[in-house]
Amino acid sequence: MIAEFFYRRQALVLGTLSMIGIVVFWQIAVDTGFINPFFISTPSQVAAEFKVQFEDGSVATNVAATLYCFVWSLGLAALVGTILGMLAGWFADVESALEPFIWFKYSAPTVAFYPLFVAGLGYGTPTIIAIAFLFALTPIYANTLSGIKNTDRDLARAARSFGARPLDIFLRVALPGSVPVMMAGLRLGVGRALTGVVVAELFGANAGLGYAITYYGQLMQTTKMMVSIVIVIALGVLLTQILSFLETRTDSWRVDSGR
Amino acid sequence: MAQIEIRDLGIDYRKPKSNEVFSAVDSVDLSVEKGEFVTIVGSSGCGKSTLLMAVAGLVDLTRGSIEIDGKRVDGPGPDRAVVFQEASLLPWRSVRGNVKFGLEMQRWSGGDLNERAMQMIRLVGLGRFSDYHPHQLSGGMRQRVNIARALAVDPEVLLMDEPFGALDAQTREIMGTELLRIWERAKKTALFVTHDIDEAIFLADKIVVMGRNPGHIKEVIKVDLPRPRNESILDSDAFHELRKRLRAHLAEDMSSMQLVQEVA
Ligand SMILES: Nc1ncnc2c1ncn2[C@@H]1O[C@H](COP(=O)(O)OP(=O)(O)OP(=O)(O)O)[C@@H](O)[C@H]1O
Ligand SMILES: [Mg+2]
Repeated sequence: MIAEFFYRRQALVLGTLSMIGIVVFWQIAVDTGFINPFFISTPSQVAAEFKVQFEDGSVATNVAATLYCFVWSLGLAALVGTILGMLAGWFADVESALEPFIWFKYSAPTVAFYPLFVAGLGYGTPTIIAIAFLFALTPIYANTLSGIKNTDRDLARAARSFGARPLDIFLRVALPGSVPVMMAGLRLGVGRALTGVVVAELFGANAGLGYAITYYGQLMQTTKMMVSIVIVIALGVLLTQILSFLETRTDSWRVDSGR
Repeated sequence: MAQIEIRDLGIDYRKPKSNEVFSAVDSVDLSVEKGEFVTIVGSSGCGKSTLLMAVAGLVDLTRGSIEIDGKRVDGPGPDRAVVFQEASLLPWRSVRGNVKFGLEMQRWSGGDLNERAMQMIRLVGLGRFSDYHPHQLSGGMRQRVNIARALAVDPEVLLMDEPFGALDAQTREIMGTELLRIWERAKKTALFVTHDIDEAIFLADKIVVMGRNPGHIKEVIKVDLPRPRNESILDSDAFHELRKRLRAHLAEDMSSMQLVQEVA
């Protein structure tokens, strides 16, 4: 029974084991005086502090603030990235027209735009959403573009032989064929939107996990800071896992998926 | 008048990265009667697929004309359906979904799509597999779906480009016999491209032998073997005679190909 479970969920089991391993190592390293707890605290202290912050409601406040910005930025990035990606994948001229922006985005770090956004949108939520939006946009756009652009030519020709019009080919061949690649882009986008929100919160916010990290970080209260870092990691893993699950749902027809 | 009339057909392709043109097919005249099964043979690269795709309306004609039932071909139409060499099935659709695909594209109005699709799937012997996806099927089964998809739209003319090219010899023979069974029932005009000499003879009412540089018709051979046919005709004298004739043609082409290579 256990062996079978281990076999079927190998990735999950191994991942969990290595996480536990790190936590144990962390605790032991501090307990034996190998590392100074002032820098990284200890798992047991973090757990106790988590309980405190959970009970006084600050976990809920920070998570809610971060998720609010996350949902908005991911939603906007998914909408804009998918639409632009579809247009660019289908019309080569649109791709050429958008190309400079993509290169620009690849070469200049997104956070460099932070002062510009602050100037335009002020400190706080709108700027955080804008930065995270830019973080998440690129993989969603790029994957949608490549999915549509690399539509199987043989399938498109077969469709044409049955009298399919360009719109038919787009909707019935190009789009469904791109769904797995688009889902992979969305999964990357989820991770990057979360990173974007937290990074932008580090710079300026009134609430949120990133805000809590800088706030306690500047006060040198490592344990309180670690609580928010651990929550960010847990959120990232959870959200990415949800997307991976959806991804395997949508590409079950892929020959090589083997699941 | 014949159902398919090809007159003085010529197709040029532009050579990659230059303005030079390359003549893939030239001066082809061919007529095909309604209900006739015509096979096209010739060495690789002699323009068989090009000719077939021209009839399908999937490549532009450079010279000449193609008429079907007196109507000029200038694009794909519901009077023709193509069975491609690669099964080219939509991997995210089931067998039934794939067979329905052609009907959907043609805005089929002849009754229930599901029923029509199932009928065709049963005709090609895949009734139990209608909910399978292409990656769950063997190569031969995929080609059956490919054929069912083409038959479903009830075309006048069935265009097949080496549909059994990727199959082993034995499966190929079985599929050939199956195809004849279906064809005898559906009574479609058929154009069938193949590399395989036995297959070309076994299926055909007449065989079109093509030569290369540029692709042209060398000879049209009538096949008067009785129908319905089964594997036993493979051993008849008439069959041997035809096989010898076709071999000679193709050997000739091969030696001219070697010449070209030596010169180049
Ligand atoms: N899209 C294209 N652009 C340029 N040249 C092409 C194109 N398609 C085919 N050709 C050329 O036209 C010639 C005939 O090709 P075609 O595919 O019709 O040959 P074929 O007889 O079907 O060969 P095979 O038996 O190998 O399938 C070849 O020399 C090929 O290089
Ligand atoms: Mg070919």
